[in-house]
Amino acid sequence: MNRTQKCAWFTLGISSLLILFLAFVLRSMFVPGDRMAGVGLVMSWLWLILLFMVGSLFLVFYRQSQAEPAADERDRLIKRNAVLASFIGVWILLAMETVLPRRLAGDAGSIPVAALPIINTAILFTAMLVYSVAVLVQYGRGVENEQ
Amino acid sequence: MNNDHISNQIRRLRFDHGEMTQQQLADTVGVTRQTIIAIEAGKYAPSLPLAFRIARAFNASVESVFQYQNGEMPSDAVKPASQGP
Repeated sequence: MNRTQKCAWFTLGISSLLILFLAFVLRSMFVPGDRMAGVGLVMSWLWLILLFMVGSLFLVFYRQSQAEPAADERDRLIKRNAVLASFIGVWILLAMETVLPRRLAGDAGSIPVAALPIINTAILFTAMLVYSVAVLVQYGRGVENEQ
Repeated sequence: MNNDHISNQIRRLRFDHGEMTQQQLADTVGVTRQTIIAIEAGKYAPSLPLAFRIARAFNASVESVFQYQNGEMPSDAVKPASQGP
């Protein structure tokens, strides 16, 4: 497993956690009587941000074997395809974000203003998730561990 | 539908060259071992410069390492390389 794959697994884990957390926050905003305690919400955020920062620092200072290049032409192709997949994913999610609230709440309906940054953050982390999955799927396809 | 295939003789050439490991070949041509595995298995078609570097590592011509086939594959050839990674 090379550095790109390790980064992808890390990003997949973190973005999944954060999306779950954001979904939980959104649920607490829209379902009456299901509000999280304020301190609990902030502490959850802080723990997740701390986890993200520690993981990111590890990946920045993690050194790969000197014998191999950090990335070769196949790695670059895989990353390019993954970026394209996440970019398409962002556009689809943004389109859904534009259409779905109107469909769900109606023309005269309203949603809390605070929901918008949470939804946009969830879209950002979904893009990271799509990127990670695309990287892992491409590496997993056709790479047998042989010598 | 695209019927173009690129097969290769890398595995045979590695063993002909003192049982060179995939890691040794990867270090020689400047790619990761995973890329050599993918090329050998026919899952990844290398770029032209990389194909030349691999051929040079075996002191062989590109044509003797990689074979371009349009349509049916011979039964003794390595699986076809796709254009994706």
